[in-house]
Amino acid sequence: MRKHAVLGAVLGAMLATIATAQAADREIVIGYQAPLSGDRSQYGEMFRNAAQIKLEAFNASGKLAGAKVAITFEDSKDDPKEARNIAHKFLDNSKVVGVIGDFSSTVSMAAGEIYAAEKMPQLSQTASHPDFTKLSPWQFRNITTQAFEGPYNADWILAAGKKTAAVIYIQNDWGISALDGFVGGFKAKGGTITATEAFNPGNRDFRSILTKVARQKPDVIYLAMFYEEGAAFAQQREQLGIKIPLYGTSSLYSPKLIELGRESVEGLHLATTFTPDNPDPAVQTFVKEYAARFKSEPGMFAAQAYDAVGIMLDAIAKAGPSVTRESLRDALAATTGYPGVTGATSFDPVTREPAKALARMTVKDGRFQVVTGP
Amino acid sequence: MVFDVFFLQQVINGLSIGCVYALMAIGFTLIFGVLNVVNFAHGEVYTIGAFVGLMVITALAPPLLAVVPLVLAVGAASGVGLERIAFRPFRRFTDEASQKSRAMREATLLSSLAVSIVAREIMMHIFGGDMQGIPSGYLLQQPVAIGPIMVASGSLVIFATSAVMLGALQFLLYRTQTGLGIRAVSNNQLGARYVGINTDRTIVTTFAVGSMLGATAGILVGLYDGAISPHMGFAPGVKAFVAMVMGGLSSIPGAVACALLLGVSESIATEFLSSGWKDLITYSLLVITLVFFPQGLFGHGRERA
Repeated sequence: MRKHAVLGAVLGAMLATIATAQAADREIVIGYQAPLSGDRSQYGEMFRNAAQIKLEAFNASGKLAGAKVAITFEDSKDDPKEARNIAHKFLDNSKVVGVIGDFSSTVSMAAGEIYAAEKMPQLSQTASHPDFTKLSPWQFRNITTQAFEGPYNADWILAAGKKTAAVIYIQNDWGISALDGFVGGFKAKGGTITATEAFNPGNRDFRSILTKVARQKPDVIYLAMFYEEGAAFAQQREQLGIKIPLYGTSSLYSPKLIELGRESVEGLHLATTFTPDNPDPAVQTFVKEYAARFKSEPGMFAAQAYDAVGIMLDAIAKAGPSVTRESLRDALAATTGYPGVTGATSFDPVTREPAKALARMTVKDGRFQVVTGP
Repeated sequence: MVFDVFFLQQVINGLSIGCVYALMAIGFTLIFGVLNVVNFAHGEVYTIGAFVGLMVITALAPPLLAVVPLVLAVGAASGVGLERIAFRPFRRFTDEASQKSRAMREATLLSSLAVSIVAREIMMHIFGGDMQGIPSGYLLQQPVAIGPIMVASGSLVIFATSAVMLGALQFLLYRTQTGLGIRAVSNNQLGARYVGINTDRTIVTTFAVGSMLGATAGILVGLYDGAISPHMGFAPGVKAFVAMVMGGLSSIPGAVACALLLGVSESIATEFLSSGWKDLITYSLLVITLVFFPQGLFGHGRERA
């Protein structure tokens, strides 16, 4: 008899648990894979910090009645093998409706092959390899590539009435993709490229290139390089008395550019996705919250993760509390003008490549300032 | 391509970069000449000169001319230290067989490479791998217009310094007792010892003088370039090495001439080719020289002992 009483009590307790679970909100889970240990762990750490802020704000907002969203973090150690194990783990968990991550293109694509085969929507905040979104209709990213930034800058330059450009680029994979992106966009809209000049990484003397390029008197010089070279280039341009205006890729966006280049970088134009100085209230809220909680100013990587989580939560809210992996994918593909901190993001319904309104900046009075107008 | 003002500007650009190579090649060749061993750590002495100069400038903000003696002193000290750590242990044996031993020479070469790596990593650890900016008051970057041609003030300073260094070294080598000693050791170390020259002291003097020149080159190029980093010595070091080999290994004027030739060739080549190819020009010139002038352009036959 005693035995039956115990059994009854246990059964009763179990039924009660099920009943309360049904009465409470459904739990929807987003899987987040990122390097949380190893030598890339600083990025995973930033992603997790930013994701927590966004998630808490979303659950508190009550945008999704009848369900609570949680994020489960898994440490991929920036290792493709680890990422594949995580992919299987997320797929086996029926609560997981979508995945964010991974950090690098290589690791994101290793996991992406499994998500593509097993039909799980995947959104990477940073994978910029051209082939990532070509894996399957289940892959998305919210980081722009040079294939987007180049034509964007080309439009900007042409709209300012400047019709001819010379391109100086660093001789590596990234530099070549930046060159192709810009030249393609500039020529397609009727601009003329007067010269394209490569230099080897580590080069510090640009006087010969500058002299050669100046001979053709282009309206602008477009720089596809990093801040060390950008600062040296701008200084030597000033010394040679060349007045052709400079435009550059977002890779030049660093306080170090101004620190090293000083007055010579005044008037340099570039477009970037995220700047903590952006007066947009959404950006300022994020920057203040992040700084208050984690005692550091958020950079581009934290902002990318903040928006990736925001885009996915937005898509879940649109799909409703009964969201499935399929309906989440469709909702993600329909993302248009998501008002994030890295610019308003839309996904192309066919290629799933992001389009963003970038912040246009110029160096003025020794600091980067947002440009309004052309 | 046309012979216009842009072309003339390219020649001037080439001469200014050539002067940077020459400034480094002078000390490099001097040290090579006395021991017949490549001193791979010369690029690090150059970097140390630049960093010490920057530290002095940021800490004390002295007039520019006061920075030079300090950098010279640090250069001399690091040259003496370098000789003690990397070179002297391999001169323990003074018999003829050891002195002519190839293995000994290669071991010395590798020990200078080891010291250079250690020195660079320590600087990376202290200063970080990033570029460090030079305070603007000290920069040698003011544009100077000579007719339609633009030159940076730093190019003129570097050109003048190279000329002064070259002249002073020629005076030291051919008009003083110390110089006679250096030439004697360079010619035949054992013979020099037999006639009563203190070879160790002569070698230390050579390292001190060569490293003083190297450290001065470092800070001058830093002021001209606007930024310095622990890796700054590598690229000009390679070019200085090529200039030294082309010049005939032990001829200092030859190395300077070849450094200028390299600079101008690279610069003019940019007119015809993408500048990504300019290192190809340097190494092609080296190969051509070695094939047709195995002694170098300014070298004369000497016993490779």
